[in-house]
Amino acid sequence: MKRWLKISLLLMPGLGLILIFIGSVVYIAIAQSFGYFNLSGESGFSLEYWAKMFDRLSYSRAIGYSLYIGVASAFLAVIFAYPLAIWLRRPFAGSLFISAVLKAPLLVHGLVVAFLYINIISYNGIVNQLLQALGIWDGPHRLQNDSGAVGVLILQTWKNMPFALLLLSGAVQAIGDDLLDAAADLGAGPFDRFRRVIAPLAVSATQAALVIVFVGALADFSFQVIAGPINKQSLSQLMVFFKGYGRWHDAAVIAVTLMGLGIAGSGVLALFSRFVLRGGRLS
Amino acid sequence: MKRFSLNKMLVWSLFGICVLWLVIPFTLAILWSFVDPSEPWTPDHLLPPVMSFARWEYLWEHSSLKVAMLNSYLLAPSAALLTLTLAMPTAYALGRLHFKGKEAVKLLVLLPLVVPGFVTAIFFTAILFQMGLHAWRFGAILFAHSILFLPYAIRIMSVSFEQVRQNHIDAARDLGATPFARWKVAYFPALKPGVMATLLIVFIYSIEEFAIAFIVGSPNFTTIPTLLFTNLGANFIRPNAAVISLILVVPNVVLMLFLERLLKSANPALSSGKG
Repeated sequence: MKRWLKISLLLMPGLGLILIFIGSVVYIAIAQSFGYFNLSGESGFSLEYWAKMFDRLSYSRAIGYSLYIGVASAFLAVIFAYPLAIWLRRPFAGSLFISAVLKAPLLVHGLVVAFLYINIISYNGIVNQLLQALGIWDGPHRLQNDSGAVGVLILQTWKNMPFALLLLSGAVQAIGDDLLDAAADLGAGPFDRFRRVIAPLAVSATQAALVIVFVGALADFSFQVIAGPINKQSLSQLMVFFKGYGRWHDAAVIAVTLMGLGIAGSGVLALFSRFVLRGGRLS
Repeated sequence: MKRFSLNKMLVWSLFGICVLWLVIPFTLAILWSFVDPSEPWTPDHLLPPVMSFARWEYLWEHSSLKVAMLNSYLLAPSAALLTLTLAMPTAYALGRLHFKGKEAVKLLVLLPLVVPGFVTAIFFTAILFQMGLHAWRFGAILFAHSILFLPYAIRIMSVSFEQVRQNHIDAARDLGATPFARWKVAYFPALKPGVMATLLIVFIYSIEEFAIAFIVGSPNFTTIPTLLFTNLGANFIRPNAAVISLILVVPNVVLMLFLERLLKSANPALSSGKG
């Protein structure tokens, strides 16, 4: 058998299926957003669905809101993970246990996390009772579905910080002691050592953490539905809403927007983090 | 000394945070799951006044929990086996053969991880509609899960295939081993941890997967996550949601810990029999 044929046959069940089905998903989403694959009428090229969507206030608000959740979650996860990764760089008594506990949220399903959270912040929940007992509040406050989406950001950070920690720990641990000792000998304090040694050497891991958390949080559905503000919709929520009413073309426009924002946002975040962590240089 | 006391302080503050973020939420969930329907747990009580297994029994007998568990626990092992089977040839090519474009193939297999879950779910449903397969929900979700989790299986198994030592294969061949015997003595010991890790990781991800099960399966086909989602929305009854949360999280935590142990043991030297 010819070598290329053998390799093609071997790649077919794995890569072939991925390309056919995920490729079809992407292709159908793009095609449906331009009027093709109409399930209930004439198919043909049309910009009508995009034009109508651009006129909708709910669409622009969903873009802004999803971007806010994506970017804020990515930065919060990395900001919390960085100091922990540096602290746990060198092993000490109990560091393995701490590391395991910090990574525990990775094992908990997102919906369970959301349940645990709304349990705590419920109207008569532990947070309300504690703040009343301390005399800070006179009566219980409604904390669930807050308009600033603080709940969603807390959930995203809780769920994603361990992942960012996992990526950053590997990068930070790979930095040799001799480099940091040399910087310290040259008079660099802890912040300078971070700014001039650790941050530039951990750029790739930081970029990976920012991008992965951003893409996941940008497309969030379940945290938003359970704990998010009721007067705002995320892009995924809007897409599911349109699909629920059989409006496939509108759902497709949202899907393409989501994928486009994911790619563009990832690029911007990767460039921005490289620029900042390398002290204002991109190369 | 300075570092030691700083660590001690940080450890204690982290302990406080862990209590706040892990112990309290899970303790509350466990307590809520034991609240007896005869006596509600009101804010003036520190602990539920009456505790029993009534909620667990009620959900088991009168909700779709049994069906959801059956669906989830049938779906997950089937998805694990199907994904492993589909991944093996590609993983073999990536792990054992050298060909042009190999790096591009490695990148392309990650495609399912790049497309947002709900986009995949919704437009996969569109494909099923076009193929007329939307009526067979179990098969549709099984197929979708297998494709979605192929990147993990291919990645793990290609690393395992790389760890198979060529001198073991050559030695077996020189001693007259048949292709099957060669597979048994040279390949299998090196692949075993990878196979187990793939089966476990796909099993866990399939049990936890929500978007596809929710979009493709709704309204008739329930899994544990879709049932939990329903119980967190319009049908929100806190003790019931607590029971389903614990059913979803506890087996997975145990399996994940087992997986971590397994991955730690997947040392190439050990698996290939060489120190």
